[in-house]
Amino acid sequence: MSDDREPDGGAVVGRRDVALPERVRALANHEFAVVVASAVALLLFPYLLIDGLGMVADAIGYRIGGYEGLPSLVLIYGIIVIGFNLLLGYTGLLSFGHAAFFGTAAYSAGLLSSTAQVTVPGIGATVGMPGIGSPILMALFGTGLATLLAWPIGFLSIRRSGVYFAVLTLTFGQMLYFFAIGPGGWLTGGDNGYSEVNVGELLGMADFGSPLPLVGTVEYAFIGLLFLLALTVANRIVNSPYGLIFKALGENEQRVEFVGLNVFRYKLMAFIISGAFAGLGGALFVMHERFVHPATGFYWIQSGDFVIMTVLGGTGSLVGPVFGALLFEYISNVISGVTLPVVGPIGSLWRLILGAAFVVIVWVFPRGIYGALADAVRWIVDAVRFVVWAARNPDEFVALVRETAAGYRRSLMARFGGGS
Amino acid sequence: MALLETDGLTKRFSGLTAVDHVDLSVERGETRAIIGPNGAGKSTLINLVTGLLEPSEGRVAFDGSDVTGLDPHEIVQLGVSKSFQTASIFPGMTVRENAEMAALGAEHGSFSLNFLRRRDAFGSVEAIAREMLEAVELLDDADAEAGSLPYGDKRRLEIAIALAAEPELLFMDEPTAGMSPEETENTVDLVERLQEELGLTIVLVEHDMEIIFRVADRITVLNRGAIIADGTPEEVQDDPQVQEAYLGGVEI
Repeated sequence: MSDDREPDGGAVVGRRDVALPERVRALANHEFAVVVASAVALLLFPYLLIDGLGMVADAIGYRIGGYEGLPSLVLIYGIIVIGFNLLLGYTGLLSFGHAAFFGTAAYSAGLLSSTAQVTVPGIGATVGMPGIGSPILMALFGTGLATLLAWPIGFLSIRRSGVYFAVLTLTFGQMLYFFAIGPGGWLTGGDNGYSEVNVGELLGMADFGSPLPLVGTVEYAFIGLLFLLALTVANRIVNSPYGLIFKALGENEQRVEFVGLNVFRYKLMAFIISGAFAGLGGALFVMHERFVHPATGFYWIQSGDFVIMTVLGGTGSLVGPVFGALLFEYISNVISGVTLPVVGPIGSLWRLILGAAFVVIVWVFPRGIYGALADAVRWIVDAVRFVVWAARNPDEFVALVRETAAGYRRSLMARFGGGS
Repeated sequence: MALLETDGLTKRFSGLTAVDHVDLSVERGETRAIIGPNGAGKSTLINLVTGLLEPSEGRVAFDGSDVTGLDPHEIVQLGVSKSFQTASIFPGMTVRENAEMAALGAEHGSFSLNFLRRRDAFGSVEAIAREMLEAVELLDDADAEAGSLPYGDKRRLEIAIALAAEPELLFMDEPTAGMSPEETENTVDLVERLQEELGLTIVLVEHDMEIIFRVADRITVLNRGAIIADGTPEEVQDDPQVQEAYLGGVEI
């Protein structure tokens, strides 16, 4: 859309398909390059979010800077929506129940680390929780259980398509919510939430919260590494036969069946894989927050938030949804703390602002934040190319300006009859 | 033994009998045309054989084994492929990716847990895709988005997808519907070439009599769900029942 407003250079450099130089594009498809670039971005990310925005905040007098912990939170949701997008963006399946896997992993990782005594109702026996606080084992345990749960839920939901699929997934998520807040309270702490989370040392060496030079904290390093792993795996999946099949399923399911592929099992795999990503996110979430409540763990609004983040960021690319997670978490955690002159503290109005941002982005940039950024980069590259071209060929540039000006004048004359 | 045999194949849709005790037998290597007025049950018959619909009665045997009630992907894996009447392609993917999708099904079976293996490690998939695109003369457009192809090319891509599944038996549902005379000519050439080069058995649903007489070895005529004639083009042409169904009935 923004391309329409491009100045006169359109004829020379404005072609969309010349976009980024071929070399950059080839790099973007290279796995190693993706990993390295992402690692650099992850190192810079906290500085940009905390220090960079902090400076802006100091300059304008509003508290809009990120805080320690926000980068981790963004990456946690980033992992979830990267996986969610494999399901929504590629395979074209809209699930409204992924909180089920997020919450299951969060609770199970928390329970694994707990040392509390739990009384099993009915039997009356008292059981001590294992108290395994290793972050790696917590992540594995949570992700594993979430993946195992995604299997039956996917198996039952995928037999229906469209709205029925969405509602079935929603129902399963809500079942878990009501279990966690009611009858499962002996295990989950019910409405009080679950806070018996004892995150131990990473590999028996480093305390989770201790600072790490350059990176920030051990926690951020751990979450960052898992984000990198998740991104690499997702990138690999997209470049495997599954990537092609998921995309094909999103476009023409019947044709996939008629080239001899088992549509049901591939859709189930998309569901399970995305459930595993949501599980990893959930396990990391509970390590980060040391607390989980049925409303954040299982409630359907959490599932809806995954959908919003994914669409906000853009479903057309692998990392797009991460930008959605960033904007979402930024608005909900930072903007909500801003106090405006007339309105007063934004507080719980943040959902209103998020909604407005969502509407604007979906209207103006249907391909999401990532699509808009990609367009902007393309536009800048084109503009720079034009300037370079103009500097190298001043005569042609002057001729072009003259010609354009003459054409503009002609069209004005034609429209307004050219009085005077 | 015949490659494809149906025995008393019947499909009823709540009172309407769309296919009525059809005994069809297609020999290996032949090109068979199925014709009949609109609503004769041609498409339903194909859908029964390819597994999209389940028959109410009767059996389907392919290459000696019973395939009645199998899912479409299982039947495709056995060697029965279908090109759809409308171009059923993946419009948002490139022409090459379209062909690779089809080759994946033939090379990896109906399901495989290879989601962590890079696609470019599968040379055979690429080779089949290239071969099929070459067969339908779309190799030059391999990197174009499939949805942007002209209609005739989309239909040829559709045929390439059906071929990349490496079938023994290929169903073609009105392969020339909506094509210009030139595109039709190309497609008919293609069908003839496929049969010669790949030794395919082809079952063709078509309305254009000129095409049918050119490519078909045998013709089966359906009317109101039942076979009313079956024979060489000459035999069928002279059959009074067929003339009745066509001239006396619908076409005037």
